[in-house]
Amino acid sequence: MVLDPAHGGTDPGARGTGGLRESDLVLEFSDSTRRALEAQGFRVRQTRQGNDDPSLDDRSAMANAQRGTVFVTLHVSSTGLTGTVRVYTMTDFPAETNTTGMLSWDRAQAPFLELSRKLGDLVQGQLALRFKGSPGAAHVAAVRQLRTTAAPAIAVEVSSVTVEDRAALERMAPGVADAIARGVAAFRPVYDASPAAGALP
Amino acid sequence: MTPRWRVWLLVGLALAVIAAVIYFPILRRRVQRAARLQQQSEEQARRELTLTIPANPGQPRVTTRLFWASGTEDGVLVPTTVELPLSDDPVLRAKQVLNTLLAGPVDVELRTLPPDAALLEFYLLPDGTGIADFSEALATSVPSGIQSEQLAVDSIARTLEANVSQVQRLKILIHGQETETLAGHLDLTGTFVVNTRATPTPAKPAQSPVTPATNAPAADKTAVEPGKLTPGNAPGKLAQPEHKP
Repeated sequence: MVLDPAHGGTDPGARGTGGLRESDLVLEFSDSTRRALEAQGFRVRQTRQGNDDPSLDDRSAMANAQRGTVFVTLHVSSTGLTGTVRVYTMTDFPAETNTTGMLSWDRAQAPFLELSRKLGDLVQGQLALRFKGSPGAAHVAAVRQLRTTAAPAIAVEVSSVTVEDRAALERMAPGVADAIARGVAAFRPVYDASPAAGALP
Repeated sequence: MTPRWRVWLLVGLALAVIAAVIYFPILRRRVQRAARLQQQSEEQARRELTLTIPANPGQPRVTTRLFWASGTEDGVLVPTTVELPLSDDPVLRAKQVLNTLLAGPVDVELRTLPPDAALLEFYLLPDGTGIADFSEALATSVPSGIQSEQLAVDSIARTLEANVSQVQRLKILIHGQETETLAGHLDLTGTFVVNTRATPTPAKPAQSPVTPATNAPAADKTAVEPGKLTPGNAPGKLAQPEHKP
């Protein structure tokens, strides 16, 4: 598992009027999620541990270097119904005539779209059970971080930094973490049965 | 130096000081006036850019659908129908509908685009690609987040789809430049599908609150990127490094 707390460093991401910063909040969500995943027996790496800001490609590269990994990028929005969580998978890629047999870095997610959407629906289903008002199935969006990731990959976005009390978001962290961990655990047999599982030379 | 030269020198210096004392306030006033004029012209230019393209008064009013946020459902766009004297020219028509979209709905809470954003230019390529060039405010003032950025782009794409049939794809530029993301999340390096009927049907579209705007990374990129990947028969299999003899 590669967990990606988005933003960081000089990029705070979404900012709330009360001074909440997405880059700080996602670190907390990431820590909770890591613990929940490890409890399920997964090995977890994070793209950042502190207030640094690896490039989008560096974050993807961390997942692309692992065998049979799953990538989850964590976000906190500045809009949306407070207390809800949405999962996104990458939009479809246009057809490309490829004469080299190689897949470009820019289209690394293309072969994994179907798996990503299965994973997204499983995680979103778990989130919908815990957070009322959350959608029942994952959405698609052209999330830049997902495009260059060669693994089943989803973006999880919590609403939102506009809450007046930071504690309201912090209380969501265990539920978000548990939902992701259970969703990934349910995805595991699907992934294991796919040709993509652990398929590094 | 003789005393006489010293006197002339002192007189010269004194005159220079007096001239400087007189001229400095005049110079300051001129600099301030020039700064004011520049500020006014920038503001004027911004206003002109944000103004809806004037339509021919004789132009018949047509039903126009503009996509703003739903007031009842989170993260969903809904069409609002208005009557506008739209031009028959697709570029002018695109400018008219996008400027009206930017002007925003009556209820400001339903805006999808920042109020200070402006459409700088719109181009239509022969292959149906519309290039919308927005001011920097679109990127700097749109609320950061996947949902809000997707709503912003979808509202532009869906409004063009509903009103300018010639636009099949949308490319968004910020102040004439391609940017990686809108506000840190949504990918702007590719094009977004506008006219969904003109594109191949995706194999298995996932659910979306609105018709998904497919992002297509530029197909003509030739730059060699690090870490080439190969789908092969097993997606996810990293390419074997080439072994050179």
